[in-house]
Amino acid sequence: MGLTGFGESAISFSSLSVDNKSFVHTIRVAGNVTREISRLNVGDKLEVRGPYGNEWPLKKVKGKNVIVIAGGIGMAPLRPVVHYLLQNRKKYKKLFLIYGSKEEESILYKDELEKWSKSGDIEVLLSVDKETNVCFLNLCHGLVTTLLDKIDVPLSDSVTFTCGSEAMMHFVCKGMIERGQKPRDIYISMERRMKCGVGHCGHCQIGAKFVCKDGAVFSYTDIKKYADNFL
Amino acid sequence: MFVISKNDLLNWVHDLASSKNVLAPVLNNRGETIFEKIHDHKQIHLNYQTTMVSPRKFIYPTRQDIKQPSLNEIQGKIIFGIHACDMHALSVLDKTFLGEFKDSYYAELREKTAIIVLNCNKACEKKYPNFILKGFCASMDSGPFLKLKKGYDIEITDIGKQQYLIETASKKGRELIAKSKKFKKALKKDISQKIKLKKSALVSFTKKLETKGLPELLAKTLDHPVYKQTADSRCLSCTNCTMVCPTCFCYNIEDNIAYDLKTAGRNRYWDSCQELNFGKVHDGNFREPRLARLRQFVTHKLSTWLEQYGCFGCVGCGRCMTWCPTNIDLTEMAKEIQKDFKEGKIK
Ligand code: SF4
Ligand code: SF4
Ligand code: FES
Repeated sequence: MGLTGFGESAISFSSLSVDNKSFVHTIRVAGNVTREISRLNVGDKLEVRGPYGNEWPLKKVKGKNVIVIAGGIGMAPLRPVVHYLLQNRKKYKKLFLIYGSKEEESILYKDELEKWSKSGDIEVLLSVDKETNVCFLNLCHGLVTTLLDKIDVPLSDSVTFTCGSEAMMHFVCKGMIERGQKPRDIYISMERRMKCGVGHCGHCQIGAKFVCKDGAVFSYTDIKKYADNFL
Repeated sequence: MFVISKNDLLNWVHDLASSKNVLAPVLNNRGETIFEKIHDHKQIHLNYQTTMVSPRKFIYPTRQDIKQPSLNEIQGKIIFGIHACDMHALSVLDKTFLGEFKDSYYAELREKTAIIVLNCNKACEKKYPNFILKGFCASMDSGPFLKLKKGYDIEITDIGKQQYLIETASKKGRELIAKSKKFKKALKKDISQKIKLKKSALVSFTKKLETKGLPELLAKTLDHPVYKQTADSRCLSCTNCTMVCPTCFCYNIEDNIAYDLKTAGRNRYWDSCQELNFGKVHDGNFREPRLARLRQFVTHKLSTWLEQYGCFGCVGCGRCMTWCPTNIDLTEMAKEIQKDFKEGKIK
């Protein structure tokens, strides 16, 4: 997404297409471009190009338990994953959404979380780093990794999709592998500096991979082996 | 195939330069050869050693406004006399910019530029105050004679006795040749002379790099101490290596608002993985340690490039080490790792 005079920023989809017409994006103000986007009014124009890169391997993992683990704004690209899983509920075994936030106020899509939780189709587990008195679903205090013990399905028959800060994903992957998950069955959405989106500007490279066109979703095994990642 | 005398060849270039932009090697007043627009064939310095800035800048400009590209000055160029290694480097760049996604700016300049390659009869070598530039294109399979079959227009070889062998590789090339009647059909002996020279050129190299198994070796020795040692003691992160390297493709994009605040350009310009903030995102800087940046350069050129494009990212031109203020040499780092491997210190 871009704004003339400010530049462009790579933003993921946070919905499946709505009536084949529109999409939802969830944008956190992190730099100049996102700040300016946040100041736009209805009717203002912004530049859009894409989509770039790959997708979560949702079809490939049919018939398995799917564990979705989000950290902070990492919930945004995972929201359409949950939508897809729920729309195709019968094709998967047990579903989990494990979602950790810094503080209670920054939890995204609260209405939906409640709805999903109530539906019983997916087990929603929430955590916040900062202690809070607010009672929301089963919200517990602590790092998101403390919730991993609540996964009560065999990990040999499960896949994990995770997105969040690289430090958070490091501990999630470590935790899942320690609990018996095969590294190949962990899928990670990587974030890198992106300028072009098409494998030309070189900024997003991790080893031989271009996060923009080969990713952003990688299997843990395929990306961990390269230099300069914190996984 | 044709032959032409040196004089006639230069006269032909002279004539081309009267109607087109011809960029050729020219000796500047500091005794360095640079590629520049020529007006007169007397300016051409054919017997040159690798230039500091590679001809990539003519196809992939250092800075470009991608909202309003100004293509006037760069249309319809002829680059005369680039060495085999630099031509190979362009074919490497093609894999990035004309691959899966086509870069229309690059494609346009590439398309509109005719390229005349000059084979090297000897390994290039040039003395600088602190360093001797030495090419090792033979090791990288990108010279000293051209190995490509397409992507350029004419290939020329100095076959001695003031004669040049001319081989065309495209319609554009044939059309350029047709502009002069001085090109004579080559004889068998001219062609066998070229083959002879090619053989003797190949064995004239003193700088070498063993590339067999190197990409795999570098991929599994990411923690080798040579990166940290070299980075901490000598690397200034000045980005020279990536600026002079003919295959580096990285760029940055920046919007520039005009002073009237009404319009804005979007500039893209050469960037470098040696830059501190190259890999910085909101979440952190993935290549903050200098060693990580140096390692990116070395492993990209000699290892991960192969996984990306099926070829090395180094054509052995010898520039990065020559114009590095402390002469850091990626082949030396690779050799140190190879040595440790041979001695069984690495499995
Ligand atoms: S890495 Fe160095 S020697 Fe190799 S092509 Fe680039 S500048 Fe030339
Ligand atoms: S990552 Fe570095 S070495 Fe690789 S192309 Fe970009 S600037 Fe050159
Ligand atoms: S964003 Fe430019 S190469 Fe990936």
